[in-house]
Amino acid sequence: MTTCPNCGVELNENANFCSLCGEPLLHHQSGNAEWIQSRKVVQEKKLRSEYQRLTRFQKRMIFWEISGLILLSGSLITFLIDLIGNESITWSKYPVTVSLALLINITLLTFWHKKSSRWLSLSFLTSSLLIILLDIYGGGTGWGMHLGIPLLLAAYITLFGLILMVRRARQKGLNIVAYSLITVGLLSVCTDGIISLYVVHRLHFNWSPIVLIATVMIAGLLLYMHYRMKKVTDLKRFFHI
Amino acid sequence: MKKDSGNTTPESKPFWFSLDNAAKIFPAIITKEVTSVFRLSVVLKQPVKMDVLHKAVLQTEERFPYYLVQLKQGFFWYYLEQLPRHIPITADERPYCRQFRKGELLLRILVRKNCVSLEGSHVLTDGSGAFAFLRTILLFYLQALGLSFPEGELPHTLGEVVSAEEYEDAYKRYFKDDIPPMVKRSKAFHLPFPLNSKPRFRQSTVILSMSQMKQAAKEKGVSITIYLVAVYLHTLQEIHNNLGGLSRLKKCRRLRVQVPINLRKIFPSKTMRNFSLFVMPEIDLRLGQYSFDEIIKTVYHQMQLESDEKLINKNIARNVSGEKNRVVRGIPLFLKSLILRMKYYSLGTSQYSGVITNLGKVDLPDETLEFADHLVVIPPPPNKMLKLNCGVIGFGDKLVLSFGNITRSNEFEERFLLFLTTQHISVEPETKTDQP
Repeated sequence: MTTCPNCGVELNENANFCSLCGEPLLHHQSGNAEWIQSRKVVQEKKLRSEYQRLTRFQKRMIFWEISGLILLSGSLITFLIDLIGNESITWSKYPVTVSLALLINITLLTFWHKKSSRWLSLSFLTSSLLIILLDIYGGGTGWGMHLGIPLLLAAYITLFGLILMVRRARQKGLNIVAYSLITVGLLSVCTDGIISLYVVHRLHFNWSPIVLIATVMIAGLLLYMHYRMKKVTDLKRFFHI
Repeated sequence: MKKDSGNTTPESKPFWFSLDNAAKIFPAIITKEVTSVFRLSVVLKQPVKMDVLHKAVLQTEERFPYYLVQLKQGFFWYYLEQLPRHIPITADERPYCRQFRKGELLLRILVRKNCVSLEGSHVLTDGSGAFAFLRTILLFYLQALGLSFPEGELPHTLGEVVSAEEYEDAYKRYFKDDIPPMVKRSKAFHLPFPLNSKPRFRQSTVILSMSQMKQAAKEKGVSITIYLVAVYLHTLQEIHNNLGGLSRLKKCRRLRVQVPINLRKIFPSKTMRNFSLFVMPEIDLRLGQYSFDEIIKTVYHQMQLESDEKLINKNIARNVSGEKNRVVRGIPLFLKSLILRMKYYSLGTSQYSGVITNLGKVDLPDETLEFADHLVVIPPPPNKMLKLNCGVIGFGDKLVLSFGNITRSNEFEERFLLFLTTQHISVEPETKTDQP
C-alpha cells in the first residue's frame, strides 16, 4: 500500500496516480520529505490562485475602469487640442459626446448587468440624447427625432426581446441562432418601415419582407432541429398531480 | 405502494418517484447558501483504502437503487427520476454541504485521509435514511478488510428484490383523514448576530465524553436529547439577557428549539426516504427567568407531550392534507414554489430560534469500534433568520456536537460549551488531522 501525499488516502502499491485527487505518485521519491513538501506548496498555490480568481463582477469593474480612463483622457485631449488649435470648440464636440455616451452605456452595463430592462431603458435614453445632439451639431435638420430615435427604439426593443428569449432558454444551442435570425428579420421590417415613413411619408415595405421570410424559414428549421433532438418527456411524469 | 402515487419500481427502468411530503418544500427554498444538504462523516482510525471504498460504494449502490435519482421539474410538482450514474467519490477539499446542481445525483461521497463523508440532499432522504446508506458502505468496507459481522448485521442482503416500503412516502401510509389542522404558533426569538460574508457557512465540531454526558443527563433524570435541548434554550436565554435594552425590547421573548423526531421509532416504517417530524419545546421569557432545572423540567414534559402518537398524527395530517388538496395540487409549479417559499419563512423558520438534530447513539456493530473513531453529523446550512444549528451523533464513548453557523459570532458555541464544562462534561475540539 502507498499513501497519497496530497489527500492522505491509501492506494494500491502499483498505482501511478491517486484515484481520489489525481495527484501523480512517484514511488521512488515518495519517501523524500522535500519532494512531498514541494508538492504541498504547489497544491496550496493551486488552491490559492483558484481562490483569488476574480469574479465576473470584478472583471467587469476592471474593464469599466480602463475604458473610463481611456475615454475620459481621450475626450480631454481632443477637447484641448481643438480649443488650442482653433481657439473655439469645433470638431471636438463629436468625439467628446460619443465618448460620454459610450462611457454611460459601459457604466450601466457594469453595474446593472442583470437588470436588463433597467440598463436597456437608460441606455436608450442616453443614445437618443446622443442622436439629438449629433443632429443639432449638424445643423438641426430633424433627422434625429424622425429617423434616428425610431430606428434606435426598434433596435432596442428587438434586442430586449432577444435577451429575454436567450435568458429563458434552458438548453442553449441552435435555438439561440434561430432567435437571433428572427430578431434580424424583425429589425429589417422595422428599419424598412421607418425609412419609408421618413422618406416618402407613408408606410411601405420594400425589401424587408423577403429578409423576414428567409430568416423565419431558416430559424424554423433550426428550432425544429434543436427541439427534435431533445428527449421527449414522459407526459405522465411531467404532469403528475 | 399505493397506486395513486403513480410511481414505478426501481426494477422497471427508467423509474421515477414523486417527492415525499417533507421533501416537497425543499426544491422551493434551495439556494447557493441554503442548500438543504447535510453531511454524515465517519472518521476511521486508519487512512481510507480507496480501492476497497470504491468497491464498497458500488455494492451499496446496488442495494439502494432508489437513491440513484436526480431532481426534475414537472408541471405541477418536482419529481425524482432515475439517473444511471455511480455516486461520485471525490477529494474533500471544497466547502461543506454544497448545493447539488441540476442533472446531478442527490448524494456524493467525499474522502480525506481517514475520513469518509456522505453528503445528501433533504429532497432525497433524511439523516436516518442517509445513515443507513453510510452504515452499509462502512460495513461492506470493513468486511472487505477481513472483518466479519454477526448474522443480520449487514441489514440488506444483495440480490433480493428491494421492498417497496423502502422507497414509499411513509407520510402517506400513516396519514389519517379528518384530523383537525394545527394552530399556528407565535413568532420566536432569533439570534441577533451579524452575518458572515459569502460563502457564509462555517462549521465547528467538538467531541464530548458519552459516559460523562449520560451521567449528567441521568442525574437530571432525562435523556441526552432533552438535556442538550435544555442547554440550547439556556444558552439562548443568556444571549437574550445580554442584549442591549432597546434590542431586547424589540426581540420576541419566546425561545423555541426545533427538534427533529425520527418517525421510524414511532411507526414501524422501513422507508429510506424522509420520515421525520419536529417537536418544538419552548420557554417564554415574559413569564420570567428560568433556571436550568426549570428548563429541563419544562422541556421534558413538552417533549413527552409532543411526541405523543396522536399529536404526531395531527402534524402529519396538517402536512399531508395540504398536498392532498385538489386545489393545491392543480396550482402550476412556479406559483406553488413561490407560495411554499413564503410559507416556509412565515410559518416555518419564524416560529423557532434554533435547531438541534440528535441522531442518537448510532446502531453499528461492536466490531466496528476497533476501526472507526467517531462520527459527525452536520445539519443543512441554516438560513438567514435561523443563523445557527447543531447536530449531535454518538458512537462508542464519543458524542460529537457540530455547530453550523453563518454569522461572525462564536458567542453561542462558546456559551453552550462553557455551560457543559460547568456541568463536569469535558469538551475537546476535533483535531485538525481527523477533521472531516
